[in-house]
Amino acid sequence: MTRVAKISACWREWPERRESLRRMAGFWWIVHKDLVSEFRSRRVWPAMLLLGIVVALLFSIQMNLLPEQKRQILGGLLWLSVFFAGTSLFDRSFALEREDGCQGALQLLPVGPGTVFLAKLTVNALALLALEGLLIPLFFILSDLSLGAHAGPLLLIAVLASPAPAAVGTLVSGLAVGQGRGGLLVLVVLPLAVPVLLAAAECTRLALESRLDEVWWRWLQLLGAFAVIFVAAGVLLFEYVIED
Amino acid sequence: MTQTHLPLRAHELTKHYGSRTILRRVSLQIEAGETIALQGGNGAGKTTLLRCLAAITRPTRGAVWWFGHPAYGDPKVRRYVGMVGHESRLYPHLTLGENLTFAGRMHGIDRPIRRAERLLAEIGLAEHGHRLPTQISRGMVQRVAVARALVHHPPILLLDEPFSGLDVEGRAWLMGTLARLRDMGCAICFSSHDETVAEILADRVCELRCGRLYELGGERRDDARREDQRVLARVA
Repeated sequence: MTRVAKISACWREWPERRESLRRMAGFWWIVHKDLVSEFRSRRVWPAMLLLGIVVALLFSIQMNLLPEQKRQILGGLLWLSVFFAGTSLFDRSFALEREDGCQGALQLLPVGPGTVFLAKLTVNALALLALEGLLIPLFFILSDLSLGAHAGPLLLIAVLASPAPAAVGTLVSGLAVGQGRGGLLVLVVLPLAVPVLLAAAECTRLALESRLDEVWWRWLQLLGAFAVIFVAAGVLLFEYVIED
Repeated sequence: MTQTHLPLRAHELTKHYGSRTILRRVSLQIEAGETIALQGGNGAGKTTLLRCLAAITRPTRGAVWWFGHPAYGDPKVRRYVGMVGHESRLYPHLTLGENLTFAGRMHGIDRPIRRAERLLAEIGLAEHGHRLPTQISRGMVQRVAVARALVHHPPILLLDEPFSGLDVEGRAWLMGTLARLRDMGCAICFSSHDETVAEILADRVCELRCGRLYELGGERRDDARREDQRVLARVA
């Protein structure tokens, strides 16, 4: 293809490219708006982090075990704490949109429901990562285990384990807010998040036992698969969730 | 004007909420530069109709087109519509300027910050741009809500009870703004209980009764009311 042909082809594709750039900009500005709102209102993140710390302290104080035994159960306790504290986050992720009919304003914007879902999911996943960033060192300090040796695998597990619960939580939060049934959230999220929690806990256990073998890799792949499936399902279903 | 170039066309909209039927085969067309006032009692379905016209609520049956494009298709076509709802729809933790800038950015307009500043100046709130919606009066919030709906120069404007909560000055401002927009070719549909406002602003007055839309002139409206009273007396 000649240079002129390449340039003209690029020019023809420009409207579509500009449109996809606008979609990305829309995604970014929703994320920005939610983060700014949360930073100013401090309504969700502090409560979530505090709840996480309380649960971590409770679990750790009750744990009077040998280091080997601690390594075996730490993963389960850690991810259970993340889930409990995260539920409070999901419960309120759409509360802001309910105020003064802001959800209607969001529906009037020229972005698809998939973009809105992904933006909300990103904010929730960031919050979960922040929670994990606080709870993982806290659990290790309270359990008297060394974090340094396992930091890499744990970071990978945290990154892969966050999108799936965040996707389920975002979807159900939208549903609960639309139907006015906040109590529905835990009932629906818990069974859906169990496979992810199980995979994350198992991955963490194997990482703490320094068994980064094929079995660990399969659990990690499962976490990745859950992330892809839950996020894709959320993008597809969100339109029907927020529909009036 | 062909139907594809009509700013807004709604065809046989029906909306059920459970067993309740809110709208029954409502059809409506609005031409460029035309203003329609929607009237009807509380719960008549004015808000539902406006939400259907704005593609916020999907009708059970029927369809809405904006300039020939299906309203429930590509999200891009939402740039055709601006809506002012019952509520302000302003984010409480963003300042007035940030609310307008956010809407401008989402609609992909050029220089959204400058546009927000210009709109705030137009509505007489230039020095309040840094304030939060909770820090200003209801009338001011309503002005900002209208400005937000106009941030992307929509050719179709839908307003749900826009005059409620406004003082005399605010009403005059909004009436002037709507008249100016109509003269610029904007298709406007607003709901209002205030018959005087409807008479002054609207080219056509429509009334929603029992889920059906009736276009009314002065005498026809009186006939419709008499018919309503007869039906009510029969039901009683």
